[in-house]
Amino acid sequence: MGLISGLVMGALVGIALMAGWSRMMRRRSTKRILKAADIKLLGSLSRDDLKKLCGDNYPEWVSFPLFEQVKWLNKMLGKLWPFIADAATMVIKETVEPLLDDYRPPGISSLKFSKLSLGNVPPKIEGIRVQSLKKGQIIMDIDFRWGGDLSIILAVEALVASLPIQLKDLQVFTVIRVIFQLSEEIPCISAVVVALLAEPKPRIDYTLKAVGGSLTAIPGLSDMIDDTVNSIVSDMLEWPHRIVVPLGGVDVNTSELELKPQGKLTVTILKANNLKNQELVGKSDPYVILYVRPMFKVKTKVVDDNLSPVWNETFELIAEDKETQSVIFEVYDEDKIQQDKKMGTAKLSLNELEPEISKEIELSLLSSLDTLKVKDKKDRGSLTIKVLYHPFTEEEQQAAQEAEKRILEERRKMKEAGLIGSTMDALGGAASLVGSGVGLVGTGLGAGVGLVGSGLGAGVGLVGSGLGAVGGGLSKAGKFMGKSVTSPFSSSKKNGSSAPVVPGDGNAS
Amino acid sequence: MGFVSTVLGFCGFGVGLSAGIVIGYFLFIYFQPSDVKDPKIRPLVEHDSKSLERMLPEIPLWVKNPDYDRIDWLNKFLEMMWPYLNKAICSTAKQIADPIIADNAVKYKLDSVEFETFTLGSLPPTFQGMKVYITEEKELIMEPSLKWAGNPNVVVVMKAYGLKLTAQVVDLQIFATPRITLKPLVPSFPCFAKILVSLMDKPHVDFGLKLLGADIMAIPGLYRFVQETIKNQVANMYLWPKTLEVPVLDVSKASRKPVGILHLKVIRAYKLKKKDLLGKSDPYVKLKLADDKLPSKKTAVKRNNLNPEWNEEFKFVIRDPENQFVELNVYDWEQVGKHEKMGMNVIRLNELTPDEPKTLTLDLLKHPQSRDVQSDKSRGQIVVEALYKPFKEEELPKDVSENADEVEKAPDGTPSGGGLLVVIVHEAKDLEGKHHTNPYVRVTFRGEEKKTKHIKKNRDPRWEEEFQFVCEEPPINDKMHVEVLSRAPSIGIHPKESLGYVTISLTDVVNNKRTNETYHLIDSKNGRIQIELQWRTS
Repeated sequence: MGLISGLVMGALVGIALMAGWSRMMRRRSTKRILKAADIKLLGSLSRDDLKKLCGDNYPEWVSFPLFEQVKWLNKMLGKLWPFIADAATMVIKETVEPLLDDYRPPGISSLKFSKLSLGNVPPKIEGIRVQSLKKGQIIMDIDFRWGGDLSIILAVEALVASLPIQLKDLQVFTVIRVIFQLSEEIPCISAVVVALLAEPKPRIDYTLKAVGGSLTAIPGLSDMIDDTVNSIVSDMLEWPHRIVVPLGGVDVNTSELELKPQGKLTVTILKANNLKNQELVGKSDPYVILYVRPMFKVKTKVVDDNLSPVWNETFELIAEDKETQSVIFEVYDEDKIQQDKKMGTAKLSLNELEPEISKEIELSLLSSLDTLKVKDKKDRGSLTIKVLYHPFTEEEQQAAQEAEKRILEERRKMKEAGLIGSTMDALGGAASLVGSGVGLVGTGLGAGVGLVGSGLGAGVGLVGSGLGAVGGGLSKAGKFMGKSVTSPFSSSKKNGSSAPVVPGDGNAS
Repeated sequence: MGFVSTVLGFCGFGVGLSAGIVIGYFLFIYFQPSDVKDPKIRPLVEHDSKSLERMLPEIPLWVKNPDYDRIDWLNKFLEMMWPYLNKAICSTAKQIADPIIADNAVKYKLDSVEFETFTLGSLPPTFQGMKVYITEEKELIMEPSLKWAGNPNVVVVMKAYGLKLTAQVVDLQIFATPRITLKPLVPSFPCFAKILVSLMDKPHVDFGLKLLGADIMAIPGLYRFVQETIKNQVANMYLWPKTLEVPVLDVSKASRKPVGILHLKVIRAYKLKKKDLLGKSDPYVKLKLADDKLPSKKTAVKRNNLNPEWNEEFKFVIRDPENQFVELNVYDWEQVGKHEKMGMNVIRLNELTPDEPKTLTLDLLKHPQSRDVQSDKSRGQIVVEALYKPFKEEELPKDVSENADEVEKAPDGTPSGGGLLVVIVHEAKDLEGKHHTNPYVRVTFRGEEKKTKHIKKNRDPRWEEEFQFVCEEPPINDKMHVEVLSRAPSIGIHPKESLGYVTISLTDVVNNKRTNETYHLIDSKNGRIQIELQWRTS
């Protein structure tokens, strides 16, 4: 009797215990899950959420701007700035100097930093916005402002004179876009892409001052420096151009992130009408320079003494990003004695073009592309062109990319051999190379090399004028190129297009 | 009889209880699903007042406290990165754990131990605010408020003697406010040498641990005990002032301290090119150490000489023997106009053997890069003698920043009972002169005067200069006079002017051994100066 009642009692208690335990388990589990949900919810509050949460006691100091404020980051930046400035000076010198050299305008034989100090005023990050537009990528937009008191003294050596130029009162207002490419291995970010957003347009202002002299000593120098800075910014940093920095450790294919040739533009410069005369005696001698990227400029022939010249020349240009890029046309007046004068410029954004449809367009010339700077509404004439946009297939794209790479390489070699002053000097020759490289996918390589080879020989012949035969000159150039590898300075030369220049604080990520 | 029945009753109770537990286990626990579901998250707008009330204690700090900053952008960033981080962390953790498990399995004669599932769940950690403290020291202090209420699911399956045991960790929750200190700050990327992490409060930890599907943590009392143990364990290790130290850079290297001295003797040059129209050139040599802030050094000008002999010796303080180099520029002196460059070359420090004098004969080049295409146009040669002497270990200047909190001992030779008063002039802010602002600091102590360098046209100068005064006895009742002055520009009608002064009583520094404060300047609008004082006794 006792046994049975004991058994029953025991079983009941046991079951009750287990039931109680499992109830407890469920209760604790739901409690934890609820809390997890709450925490997650509170991790990204909006204004309405907070209003509901706080009711009437809504804290006045809280606001929700589009770009989230980062006071703490600015505080840190302020404290860290003297140290960052010191460290960055070195890095900038190493990375920017070769860049300056690549983009150095013709007429200046050397462009170097002789003093570089980033000043006492740290940059300010106005806000940060994070979004994800594509799977596996995080896009971070940083509203960056820097009204610094930095002082850069550039040693400029022109053909006529050399003088130090001081660049000061720099002001930078821009939105930096940083794209993080995610991966499934620590540190989870396989590459970082840095660019300046084109819209709003980056504003980079500075004043130039000649140390112990006047800027007018070299005519057009300040414009030249402006141009150089502009080309570097717009050709390297401004979206769609970008700097891709693969992070160490993870081996990934970053080619997808990099800017690649997307299509080919066939531009025929037909004629110009009613150009303004720039010369005192006779009429202007106009020619046109056109480019998509300032690194690859092409040039028409000069038509003498004509204000309505007809060129009828066709060029091929490569476009990387149809949505944001545009072709720039600059009409110049050739001047044998002075620098060539700009007669007007025009812009054609590629977005307006439809693929594979040839179109004749008349563009009116302006004094400057910056609409804020255009003072007069004077008529400067018009330029008539014919454009055809051809999007690349995959094979064509690869071929174009390789051709581009090769051209840059050749130019660099020629520069080292002392043939051309700057990578940008080679106007016409490079253009023909682009054409041959793209057109003859199979044989392009041979043709390209042939062209460069002959150009090299001719150039050396010119430079070493006293030395005699072209062949001898060539072998000499080869010798010096070989020597250049062992020279102490050339080892620090980097490939400008991949030099990582990451402005701002490394801790931001 | 009654006795037997009672005994039987107890026995029955015992057997019944175990049977009941087993039945109950299978009834209530075993058939429960053990997989972790993603919690449903409803937007806040849909919540009723009751669930809102539950949320109130968890309101982020940036809402409650104005001195905390919102970092929802970082939360967003983490959320997007979380799936990738999750996979990366899990695979790394597995890789680390597997060999350890394998070792132990052999030791305890287990057949196999393996992770059945290992995931950190879908909920990322969130930051509920960030606070940054700025002190006078070379450090940065951050205090993020970190809350991770995740839904991880880690299942470990053990097999031994034919039995299978599963242990499962679910719903891990960790709330903590770590303090992250970056120090010391150094002038090379990433700009700090060490990361120190410590916890400001005991962290909150909660989780469910299921053995054979039953959550042990749900046994009343046990959870509290386990939580307390974990809290105390962690607190023992990392609760402030205990810290976890992560070195990032080698401090001595990163702070770019001097490591040696280069002795350079410019002996002579020959076959220089004639540059002047009348007579020969007037050459002199300019020497400049790369990445050095000091102005370049010059030799004397040898008039009318194309094979000049200088025999002058120069010393350079070397901070980075791997990359630094000395640039030698030969110029033609000119009474009027620009001095013309006659040629140059460089001496790289890594080409020199330490402590071994070397005589170098260098060709003069046009540019450092130039391969001198016109080889017939020789620019001449220059002969120099170079000797690089690295400091010996004991000569190395002591690293002040490493133990900034401790005051060094005074060097030998200081009088007993006395000591060494060290003044470090760090920086000044918002200085304003009437006519010019080229500030320098004059420190006066017992009639002894010391001056810093002057910094041209700068309202927020940084000097970072150190001065020492030897004292016979502690300067308890003494005062120190610190005045910021502006040096007149070289040509100018305005004499030097005072930008403000401050008188510091030395009682505090003698009692505290070290003070580091920012003082407001008297006779100045907003000027402030940061001065560090140390009292070193033997």
